[in-house]
Amino acid sequence: MKRLDLELAVGLFIIAGIICLGYLSIRLGRLEVLGNKGYEIYAMFSNTGGLKSGSDIVIAGVNVGSVKSIVLDNYQARVILNVSENVKIQEDAIASIKTKGLIGEKYVEITPGGSDKAIGPGGRIRETLSPVDLEELISKFVFGKI
Amino acid sequence: MRLTKRFCFLISFFLIFGMTLPAWAGEPTEKIKQTTEKILSIVKDPALKSPAKAQERKKLIRQAVDERFNWEEMARRALARHWEKRTEEEKKEFVSLFADLLERTYLNKVEGYSGEKVRYEGESVDASYASVKMKIITEKNVDIPVEYRLRKGAMDWLVYDVSIEGVSLVNNYRTQFNSIITQSSYGNLVKKLKEKTS
Repeated sequence: MKRLDLELAVGLFIIAGIICLGYLSIRLGRLEVLGNKGYEIYAMFSNTGGLKSGSDIVIAGVNVGSVKSIVLDNYQARVILNVSENVKIQEDAIASIKTKGLIGEKYVEITPGGSDKAIGPGGRIRETLSPVDLEELISKFVFGKI
Repeated sequence: MRLTKRFCFLISFFLIFGMTLPAWAGEPTEKIKQTTEKILSIVKDPALKSPAKAQERKKLIRQAVDERFNWEEMARRALARHWEKRTEEEKKEFVSLFADLLERTYLNKVEGYSGEKVRYEGESVDASYASVKMKIITEKNVDIPVEYRLRKGAMDWLVYDVSIEGVSLVNNYRTQFNSIITQSSYGNLVKKLKEKTS
């Protein structure tokens, strides 16, 4: 009887450990298993410049969602954005890919527009700006000055 | 069997024509081309090069640009959230101030034309919106990518945004106007614009 108690305790302990591990990996990996709140819209970019799924979406520096996935569509990048429910994106908003610092990670910045029409779930941000290629600009500056 | 064949033929016929027709027409590109050529002919015209004719030249260029640019839409997009709060008179005043600002900023650049060439790189049309991509090739053989965004209005395709090197004009002014208005007031923005354009 005592032996059974010990085995039960060990078993419970291990189960608790596994649950903790699962929770941790979901939190750290930013997996959204428990249903994500918000709605999806998409934007087409001619170049994403190293944007990754999971990257932040930002309005005025405040995080309002994350990039869900990036797929190739007719040789352009279709970026699917998951935006928080309580944030309305106007039809003439502009989405641009920016870099944190000079060589930091990429994120999507949205400058809100003035239209009274909001983009619904599944809609598209029409106005997009691909990241400015710093290397290209430098090379232009260097080779342009002959 | 024969019927399905004919049907297939018909469908492919429509598919091919349905897809290629807009590419043939290329209406937005055509419009941009027209305006660009008009401005180039004004800039190149030796009769207008003398300093005495400078004013007339400016006027002609402005006219050509006015035909193709939708200033109101541009101003509305640049002012974004703050547009709705303005009265009708304020909106009108702002549109003309904004157009003058752009004229001031960019006309000098057009007047400094020195043999740059233009190459059209294709367009994409989506319902009443279109974008036309082109490259300006300078004398030193440096490409500058330019993208026009157009919207089909009641009559014609009109430009509402221009991106140069991937930097959007509307986005640039939108962030600037927004920070001026939130930090001080709309009145201050108008004052600043007036100072710049006078």
